[in-house]
Amino acid sequence: MHRRQVLKVVLGSMVMALTPLSWALPAREEVDWLFSAVDDPRGGHFIAGVALDGKTRFMIEVPERCHGGCLRPDSRQAVLFARRPGTRMHVIDGDSRQLAHTIAAGEGYHFYGHGVFDQSGRYLYVTANRLADSAGLVRVYDAANDYAHVRDMPLDGIGPHELRLMPDGDTLVIGLGGIQTHPDYGRVKLNLATMAPALMLMDRHSGEILARHEPSHHQLSCRHLDVAADGTVIAGYQFEGPEWEAHPLICCLDADGQFSELALPEDVTASLQQYTASVAFSRVSANALVTAPRGNRVLLLDAAQGKLLANLELPDAAGARCDGNGGFLVSSGQGGLYRVSLNQASPKLLARLDMLWDNHLT
Amino acid sequence: MAAFRRLGLLACTLLAAPLSFAADTPAPRDIWHGAMAMQYAELSDASERLEASAARFCQAPDESLRQRLENDWLSAYQAWQAVRFIQFGPVEQNSRGWQLQFWPDRKNLVGRKVNGWLKAPAAPDAQAIARDSVAIQGFPALEYLLYDDAMEDGRALSDPNACALMQAITTHLADTTSALHRDWQAFGEHYLDMSDYTETTLASAIQALEQLEDKRLGEPMGLKGAPANGYLAEAWRSEQSVRLVASSLEGLRTGFLPGLTALLREADALPLAEAFRDQLDKTLAQASEQPSGLVPALEYEEAFRGLQSLYLDISQLRHLLGNEIAAELGLMRGFNSSDGD
Repeated sequence: MHRRQVLKVVLGSMVMALTPLSWALPAREEVDWLFSAVDDPRGGHFIAGVALDGKTRFMIEVPERCHGGCLRPDSRQAVLFARRPGTRMHVIDGDSRQLAHTIAAGEGYHFYGHGVFDQSGRYLYVTANRLADSAGLVRVYDAANDYAHVRDMPLDGIGPHELRLMPDGDTLVIGLGGIQTHPDYGRVKLNLATMAPALMLMDRHSGEILARHEPSHHQLSCRHLDVAADGTVIAGYQFEGPEWEAHPLICCLDADGQFSELALPEDVTASLQQYTASVAFSRVSANALVTAPRGNRVLLLDAAQGKLLANLELPDAAGARCDGNGGFLVSSGQGGLYRVSLNQASPKLLARLDMLWDNHLT
Repeated sequence: MAAFRRLGLLACTLLAAPLSFAADTPAPRDIWHGAMAMQYAELSDASERLEASAARFCQAPDESLRQRLENDWLSAYQAWQAVRFIQFGPVEQNSRGWQLQFWPDRKNLVGRKVNGWLKAPAAPDAQAIARDSVAIQGFPALEYLLYDDAMEDGRALSDPNACALMQAITTHLADTTSALHRDWQAFGEHYLDMSDYTETTLASAIQALEQLEDKRLGEPMGLKGAPANGYLAEAWRSEQSVRLVASSLEGLRTGFLPGLTALLREADALPLAEAFRDQLDKTLAQASEQPSGLVPALEYEEAFRGLQSLYLDISQLRHLLGNEIAAELGLMRGFNSSDGD
């Protein structure tokens, strides 16, 4: 414990030497928003845009609890997605602070709470469920054409969750959770005995499945992920099996396409309580952060070495995003917004808001 | 590897055991685990009695065996209500909680599933039930067979197909609850070993009281912003909604209160435990004074007032545990940690 703290201090001073002390994102004239799905204390569902000072903000009420979101490149738009078994995605305009569009999944489909744009900002790729046969899909929408639905690309599996675009601009990396749900059954997990999760790569043009990596246990649901500039992917699992078993909860696809699971110390894995939420890469270094709301922890990882750099306490640690300077912004389901970086022994509270942040920051 | 680790844990528990016995009072999680083990044992036993009762009825259907069957169904269902506040551990495996009671059922999936099997050329066995949906696997599907209007005043249940379906469900139910009891005992090492489970247990009981207040009473009674709707109540077909609420309260008294008392004694806050016990007893008394069904009370003002009193008592009980006791014990409940995605 003592040694780990010393190590952190040493690493911290190295990082401080490399990055400016200021943590704000590059200044723009407009406000830079953090977007997140939130609930208010009375249980109402909203999409919040919060400035980095935590003070300026706007809230848009939505009918279903939302989950993740993505920014549209070269625009001031963000899209936030209803979580399963929700059926809407909402386009938010950061300038007008208004809802620009709401797009329905359509009869017989629901979303899983995540999507990503191509580099031009034209095509939006959204994970979805086709209810008739529980097929996991990537649905493609054309943002230049009022978000018209273009086509579906099947994943040959159940329960796709978060997806991101690889640095090549052509490949999607997708966490296939493997869990079957149906709106008639609410949030009941219908296939826990026969799950088949995977970390997948897909050609976004042809829909061809380029790789399918299976976790070491069939109940390790691969959910959330992020990609580094060199193409390294870190993904987090949620274990749906017995809570008294310990399994790895983080996997890595390195820049050469080699798949592995991180062997963290057993007590660290146990402290996550079988559940990871957000994954975020620092855009500055090869470090990644993983949040674990059930364990009230955030992990900082050296993705290249597959090593744990820090293991910090943060209550109901939820959404995470890089701060542009090598550190991270992390939201808490209990209302706090924190900055986490290697040069701090503990998360720094930036603002406390009277709302419950969902698991992702955009 | 996993088995080896569990053996290791067992050894640790055995080594630690004399220490906890030496203390004046057992530790809260020891008390909880033991009390809940007895509740799961009762659920498993009651489910086996139900399975046997269904088999007897189907062999020679008559009115007295049918009455016995209904009683055994209700006893087992009540035994399940008593442990419903445990929303972690083995009950989460394979969605067992949902298997035992799929509810709420806004689309009448239970009715649709039962009718699907009644029209099938051959009745299912317990394995077929195990492979099918949660809507056919538990107490609500049995309730449909015993009480729904579509079952023609009870005569239709003696039909061989219907009886075979009922027996398959009761066998699956007995299998599930027996596995649940066995797994709960095996889970003991882990539960006692991990201190986080103290908070988990508290949070689980708070969640159960919130569900009682909001979902099991508030929504069907029309107290949650939408008009009253009796079909949102659980066990509306058998008119046992309030009886099941009372069973859940009794389950908290037997399975939860003793461990909570020990925990609050350790925290030097015994008056809070006494306040919780008194409010629980008052609520239980209020529940047992009400008619067993919820739907009829929606139409009679006096009965509705009785239900409102029960609702308020449960609300106070939830506040006591979720606010005052949770604050005293430093329990912080999460948003994503309890219902993330």
